[in-house]
Amino acid sequence: MTDAGTTNAATTNAATTNTARTHAATADAATTGYGTDPLDPASGLSGFGGADGSPRVSYLLRVNGVERPVNGAWIGESLLYVLRERLGLAGAKGGCDQGECGACSVQLDGQLTAACLVPAALAADSEIRTVEGLAADGTASDVQRALAGSGAVQCGYCVPGMAMAVHDLLERNHQPTELQAREALCGNLCRCTGYQGALAAVEAVARSRAEAAEAAEDAADAADDPDDGTGGAEQAAGAVVAAEAAQAAEAPVAEPVGQAVQDEYPVYADVEIPGQQQGEPENYDPLFGPMDGLGAEQQFTQPQAQPQYAYPGYAQAPQPEPYQAGYPQPGHPQPEYPGPGTPPEGAEPGVYVLPHQGTPQGMHQNTHAPEAGA
Amino acid sequence: MLPASLDEAVTALAASPAAVPVAGGTDLMGAVNAGLLRPMALIGLGRINELRGWQYQDGTAQLGAGLTHARMGRPDFAALMPALAEAARSAGPPQVRNAGTLGGNIVTADPAGDTLPVLAALEATVTLVGPEGGREVPVSHLLTGLDPMRGGELLGYVRVPLLHAPQVFLKATGRTGPSRAAASVALVLDPARRAVRCAVGAVAPVPLRPLEAEQWVSGCIDWDGDRAIDPAAAAAFGEYVAAACVPEPPQADPEGLEGGPAAAAVRLRRTVSVLARRALGRALK
Ligand SMILES: Cc1cc2nc3c(=O)[nH]c(=O)nc-3n(C[C@H](O)[C@H](O)[C@H](O)COP(=O)(O)OP(=O)(O)OC[C@H]3O[C@@H](n4cnc5c(N)ncnc54)[C@H](O)[C@@H]3O)c2cc1C
Ligand code: FES
Ligand code: FES
Repeated sequence: MTDAGTTNAATTNAATTNTARTHAATADAATTGYGTDPLDPASGLSGFGGADGSPRVSYLLRVNGVERPVNGAWIGESLLYVLRERLGLAGAKGGCDQGECGACSVQLDGQLTAACLVPAALAADSEIRTVEGLAADGTASDVQRALAGSGAVQCGYCVPGMAMAVHDLLERNHQPTELQAREALCGNLCRCTGYQGALAAVEAVARSRAEAAEAAEDAADAADDPDDGTGGAEQAAGAVVAAEAAQAAEAPVAEPVGQAVQDEYPVYADVEIPGQQQGEPENYDPLFGPMDGLGAEQQFTQPQAQPQYAYPGYAQAPQPEPYQAGYPQPGHPQPEYPGPGTPPEGAEPGVYVLPHQGTPQGMHQNTHAPEAGA
Repeated sequence: MLPASLDEAVTALAASPAAVPVAGGTDLMGAVNAGLLRPMALIGLGRINELRGWQYQDGTAQLGAGLTHARMGRPDFAALMPALAEAARSAGPPQVRNAGTLGGNIVTADPAGDTLPVLAALEATVTLVGPEGGREVPVSHLLTGLDPMRGGELLGYVRVPLLHAPQVFLKATGRTGPSRAAASVALVLDPARRAVRCAVGAVAPVPLRPLEAEQWVSGCIDWDGDRAIDPAAAAAFGEYVAAACVPEPPQADPEGLEGGPAAAAVRLRRTVSVLARRALGRALK
């Protein structure tokens, strides 16, 4: 490549080679048909093949601290598909299947990723955390409550992904600036709210976590102080409360999962169980499940435990019949949700009148197109 | 299947040639989800630790193909290879950068691949490892198809010279926030050779090197002094680069067709010229 002329020649060359390669690949796929010998252990991740001859595998996924078996799944299934359709965890949403929208965000070994772009079979020895794992004891996490409270939820489709992204951000950065928050949320598209609510939620949670941590520290200091006569006991009690508050404010990861999971793992109303679902129960929020964290009472019916896993919240969902699950019958009584646009009691006025500002900005200074004539 | 070493992965690929290697999956799974690709077997490269870091070897850095964009964007890496770090930071949203890798970016060879112009400007080489062992190929030969990857080969490492001089990557996109480049420019200074090396990405199927413009501008720089350049020379460099990399726009758009191919080409030329001028300015600042 010596000048524009030769570069262009090389370019054409490359283009033709690419096409040639694609054709070869297509021809390959067509002629190889059913691929390599599935019995050969060296043949990569191939299995015995499904009815259509596509390679299938079985593996264990570790989701929110629980081992979930997946049987006979095609190797090309994305983690999003397996979570939703095979494991009944419908928290992560599918928006684009191309990594663009962020609705399917989950944490994979502590890293925020788009579940639609992860081959599920290769996530078999990773720790997967989904939006269902954010809610401790069936109570929405502080981030989820803040999102709901600050007007970041309208249609709600983006919110599970948004909640994962906010959790991820606040785990790594306890006091994000607005720019950092915008950068962290730039992969989560929301078509309704204009992002101001989500940014407000980040700020609110960062503040409340900092306050809780500070209170815990103060209280701990006071409790250490032996001279402090009568107030001591009171303050010590305060310390315990504050420490608990701080702990609760932390993301719910610290607890050893094993026992807790057996006893009090949150029940997910999202679990899709064909035949059992009679529309959505009252006070059920499609995003957060039961709304008891927001003052409503938990009234949904618990899906039946599947004895083979001895685990109440999950049920190994067989493949739902297409278009049977999740759609309420006509005339089904509509649950009463707290209106998404109305401020909850005690909310600061003014939060809801912020102008919409479009997509998150300021990703990189240099990503702005140069201004005309500059 | 998840091999733990590069050798294992190569053996597995040799044993089942129909298998597809997967690094971060961000390009591959998009194609699978869209029904464009139906893999018969997968070989996950995510557990090969030797590919996930980098090391130094006589004046060069050997980068593992499994380095994620998120890892490359961190400050310790940016101190070594600022332009590559900047490209990695702008390559998509966090969800994608946490998974997407350097190797995947090169093998996909998308015209808008952000690391590609940087590697072209750095004159990086890649190590391809196959059943018969490894071979080193200049990244430009790989991308242009002069020396393509052979069946059964995996991309192991990328060797990048350590120049200890300013390096800039600038990218123009259609919107704020993460998106693919409409045009990008990588520019590195090589003070030892008194050279400026520049590559323009996303305007052609492969990154383009405007060699004449590079040569001309390196003659305009006061290498022994404060490396200053006349602003007019920098602007001329921008025009030179744009003219070399974006084909001459057609005379005018057909009647009544605003924003047609002529207008688009003019705009692209202007974009590239501004990016190149700014990149030079920042490198010499
Ligand atoms: C929403 C979104 C935005 C994006 N934005 C950008 C952007 O702004 N800039 C940009 O440059 N890219 C962008 N990308 C593309 C993508 O993230 C990058 O190209 C990434 O580097 C691909 O790496 P990967 O590890 O995910 O590759 P994979 O998808 O795992 O692999 C891609 C291809 O490379 C092959 N491969 C991977 N590693 C090896 C290896 N070591 N040896 C041999 N073959 C290998 C695979 O077989 C596959 O064919 C974006 C993607 C998405 C989904
Ligand atoms: S569905 Fe995964 S990012 Fe849109
Ligand atoms: S997409 Fe509707 S609330 Fe975000």
